[in-house]
Amino acid sequence: MSTELERTESARASATAPAGVDGIAVVARTQGQMVRRRFFRHRAAIAGMLTLAFVILLAYTSIGFGPVTGWWDKTYVSTGPVIDGGRPTLGLVPNFLGGDGIRLGEHPFGQDNVGKDYFALVMRGTQRSLVIAFLIGIVVTVVGTLVGAIAGFFRGRVEGVLMRLTDTMIAIPTLIFAAVLAAVARGTGNIIVLGIVLGLVTWTNLARLVRGEFLSLREKEFVESARAVGTSPWRIIHKHILPNTVSVITVTATLTVAAGILLETALSFLGLGVQPPDVSLGSLVSQYQTAFQSRPWLFWWPGLFIVAIALSVNFIGDGLRDAFDPRQTRVRA
Amino acid sequence: MMASLTPQPHIATGLTDVAQPSREEILRVNDLTVSFPTDDGLVRAVRGMSYVLHEREVLGIVGESGSGKSVSSMAIMGLLPKSARITGEIFYRGDDILTMRAQQRRSLRGRKIAMVFQDPMTALNPVYTVGDQLAEAVLAHELIPRKHALARAEEMFALVGIPQPRQRLNSYPHEFSGGMRQRAMIAMAVINNPDVIIADEPTTALDVTVQAQILEKLLEVKDAVNAAIILITHDLGVIAGTAHRVLVMYAGKPVEVTDTDGLFERPRMPYTAGLLGSIPALESDVDDRLRPIKGAPPSLIHLPSGCPFSPRCPLATDVCRTDEPDLLGTDAYDHLAACHHWPKLARADDPTMYFRAESEIVR
Amino acid sequence: MAIFIIRRLVISVLTLLAATFIVYVGTAVSGDPMQDLYGLQDAGDAERQMDERRRVLQLDTPIPLRYLSWLAGLLRGDLGQNIRGQDVSALLANAVAATLQMVIAATVLAIVFGIVTGIASALRQYSGFDYALTFAAFLFFSLPVFWVAVMLKQYVAIEFNNWLRDPVIPGPVILVASAINAVVWMAILGGDRQRRLTTLGVAFAAAAVSLEFLSATQWFADPGLGPVAVLVLAVGAAFGVTFLISGFRYRPPLVSALVAAAVGCGFYLVSEPVLADPSVWMIPLLAMATVATGLAIGYLLGGLQRRQAMVTATATGLLTGGVIMIDYLLQAYAGYAQRVRGRPISTVGSQTPNFQGDFWQAGLDSGGHLLLPTLALMLVSFAVYTRYTRASMLEVMNQDYIRTARAKGLTERTVVTKHGFRNALIPVTTLMAFDFGAVIGGAVITETIFGWQGMGFMFITGLNQVDPAPVMAFFLVAGGSVVVFNMLADIAYAYLDPRIRV
Repeated sequence: MSTELERTESARASATAPAGVDGIAVVARTQGQMVRRRFFRHRAAIAGMLTLAFVILLAYTSIGFGPVTGWWDKTYVSTGPVIDGGRPTLGLVPNFLGGDGIRLGEHPFGQDNVGKDYFALVMRGTQRSLVIAFLIGIVVTVVGTLVGAIAGFFRGRVEGVLMRLTDTMIAIPTLIFAAVLAAVARGTGNIIVLGIVLGLVTWTNLARLVRGEFLSLREKEFVESARAVGTSPWRIIHKHILPNTVSVITVTATLTVAAGILLETALSFLGLGVQPPDVSLGSLVSQYQTAFQSRPWLFWWPGLFIVAIALSVNFIGDGLRDAFDPRQTRVRA
Repeated sequence: MMASLTPQPHIATGLTDVAQPSREEILRVNDLTVSFPTDDGLVRAVRGMSYVLHEREVLGIVGESGSGKSVSSMAIMGLLPKSARITGEIFYRGDDILTMRAQQRRSLRGRKIAMVFQDPMTALNPVYTVGDQLAEAVLAHELIPRKHALARAEEMFALVGIPQPRQRLNSYPHEFSGGMRQRAMIAMAVINNPDVIIADEPTTALDVTVQAQILEKLLEVKDAVNAAIILITHDLGVIAGTAHRVLVMYAGKPVEVTDTDGLFERPRMPYTAGLLGSIPALESDVDDRLRPIKGAPPSLIHLPSGCPFSPRCPLATDVCRTDEPDLLGTDAYDHLAACHHWPKLARADDPTMYFRAESEIVR
Repeated sequence: MAIFIIRRLVISVLTLLAATFIVYVGTAVSGDPMQDLYGLQDAGDAERQMDERRRVLQLDTPIPLRYLSWLAGLLRGDLGQNIRGQDVSALLANAVAATLQMVIAATVLAIVFGIVTGIASALRQYSGFDYALTFAAFLFFSLPVFWVAVMLKQYVAIEFNNWLRDPVIPGPVILVASAINAVVWMAILGGDRQRRLTTLGVAFAAAAVSLEFLSATQWFADPGLGPVAVLVLAVGAAFGVTFLISGFRYRPPLVSALVAAAVGCGFYLVSEPVLADPSVWMIPLLAMATVATGLAIGYLLGGLQRRQAMVTATATGLLTGGVIMIDYLLQAYAGYAQRVRGRPISTVGSQTPNFQGDFWQAGLDSGGHLLLPTLALMLVSFAVYTRYTRASMLEVMNQDYIRTARAKGLTERTVVTKHGFRNALIPVTTLMAFDFGAVIGGAVITETIFGWQGMGFMFITGLNQVDPAPVMAFFLVAGGSVVVFNMLADIAYAYLDPRIRV
């Protein structure tokens, strides 16, 4: 979604600041501050952040994780008697409008055919997806930036080798590659391994972009002057070039995370991702896809959560992209 | 016989070699204002501009970035975005362009009033041949066979001095050098025999040696098609040998209008004096200092009250800060200036002395 | 330039081979190929089967050597045998046709719709249409393909098939659909207030009347266009094409287009013997004839606008041909419906088993089976293309050469279609290859859901059974098509942008 015009320095200055020596005052602002201000103007990104925060909180506090217990009384493994055909007890229409009243009830998302509470199942699946998404984000950022930076900066044979590797990986369609590696990883049954593996499949896009940025930035004068003074390559990369690539890295990593969530759920759907008895939103959809006619809630809830998470992350990524791009202008007609 | 083998020295075409302007009015701009509403407020880019352009005249418009010089010409061409608010009148041969319907305006654009832009690198579409783009300029207004349009394009190439014109028609823009590209742009502007050529900083993006060639070519071409030129620039040096009359703009308004010699020798507005003082000249002493104008141009959203130049003007007094001076006559014939204190400048031998840097006063 | 492309091709093939190694090893180590044999009752039988499997899969040789042996086989043209000893090449032949149909249809549709909406969105930046499209694109980006596919199965297939038993369109639906149609046309045509209101009214009325007519006559049960509708559509196409390409300022392009439409309609009236049950070759032949006729009409009637007239006439001719084909398809529906008991949209398999019918009925059958998986696959690609095209077009329209074009006095239409469009398309070609890979990945999912016995199915089955041969076969085809698509994209790029032609 688009943003509004960013305020020009002089406009602000003449309006608010007292006259300086030459009659003109300048308000200094760091780039970080400007980016943050532009980001917070992006309504969709804010909505995305709020939604994501809500989902994370809900998933982790409701059923708890590890040693921490949540406020929801059921777990995702306990079965029970199937009440009312497993229909959801969530009510959103208030009493005075003729509905059941706003309430959570025993099973707000319903129950599956063996009586498991579906809310707990969906929460568990969301937790798993969030963990994997987080891992993908870290792996992609680290590996992609390293490979891209080294290739783009040092060039020569190092770049050649790294780029061949990257191109080879790009030649394999993502889902195929992920499927094969996930199949290898499912033997371990550990979702940390799965997260890392998926990250190792999706870093190539970021690496290419970072390399592109490094290629153009290393020709700039400030790098030449740093080199002329005798700065070590690592310091040049770290202090001079990398800060200028932050925008590309942040935006691309965020969008890759969104794609990663969809990738993980797709793999789980196919049986290659998160393995039973653990739960993933994708595996829930897979399990109950035939039940669509009779018990649609089994199908809707996990899908809605996938869409909510992916959409929020995509909006955040778009907000970041607009925030980092100073060329956005909008003239009020 | 020996004479025919030695290359003849090239005598540059100057202002005195081209046909003189006539009294006929081609373009008359009356109190033009242009504003853009933005989220920060109303940007008043042009705040009341009036001038007249005669047949075969070269009018130079000088000003810094943000002075409104480009915007005013875009208003004449009708190339401003839809959100722009334009008031005033622009008469082309007696018809007000601003009240014309879109179709009529489009028939003038590129045919009677043509424009040459600043950066020839990006002004041509990279995916079509240059010949194609020139022919397009013809076919947009006339219904003739494509072959004829291409033949016209070839003629134009020869006119602007592009070698091997027939082969060059099939070249792409990236195969031309910067100077050649600008020549092609000039060819595109004159291919329909316009009455007015608006050249918006035509030499700013070019090497100095090429600049002179392009300016010279502009003058030659002007005669060939009998057009007037509006030459927009921020460089006084470009104006010196090329314009009959000069209009200096500051903060959206003209502040001095006169003939070129009058401007250089008898400036009546401190801003002009400042500009003249800040040019490094080849004849100046090695110990002479440059005399820049302090400060920066004002914001077009929040203009200071009174004369917009007053914060930077060494002659400014209280009246300057409250009353914006109108563009009025001065001591010389047909020399207008917008300054309360122009007589002071008239009395000084060297008007640029008011802009002396601190270090000079000691000496 | 040819050398450039050949070099790229060679590098791509080598890269592909390197990738095959990774995929082969990955598959081989992903699990135990004997898994399903452990639980067998009869120990002796199990033992025998295990030995057999060990032989077929060469489980006694180390994995790298197995890869080399597969590679050697590949160079001989032999794709090996799967875990059950069946010849993979034979299996592949059947599977490839189905999958490629789906993938190519999805890609082409996504590209066409994506580019058109992306450009419209860029030209109407910040309008309601733009916002709606942007939101839709984001939504489609974030949709899991498998979820969408299952939803489509339910709502589109089952509900639509149910509705076809009594195809009456309820009043409220007509109103809503007409309103949407009106708004879309208003957004696309734009213009000042008066023009927008006129477009709104006309589009609404046209849609409402047509839908009511279709509903009242129960058209969907026995559809067909008939000569009148064909004529109307052909003429409409003529006007639309001329509007886009040259405008109505001069007559010849419009006249040529109308003549082409007339010729097309004339052909339609006498086409029965040729098109009743054509062979597969007839269609491309007719297409070429249409192109030739269109070019001739434009050339003869074009006068000073010869070039544009040829384009408008040919485009109109092809569109009219398309309309005629749609008419034949629709008319064949009545007969086809009986075969499938009134449920044309299918959710299982790539064609009705043991289907025998003429060309059009077979076409309907394929179409009905293709519809849902293609739709599911298309959504994500479409979102990518529309966003990318929009961004590219916006950037192009801010360039100096657009300003120059306007300064020359060109109409806004020419500025957009001649100067803007081509430049905006250039970066989009680079997207095509990458997106195609994603579509192939998606095909794996849709084939699983819709029960197609395609390559994706081969892949997943092979992977689950730790069986490298079918997995490799699938990968070769998938990777190979990506390489081909890459090449096509490179050629398109070179055609569009003269700067890279060395």
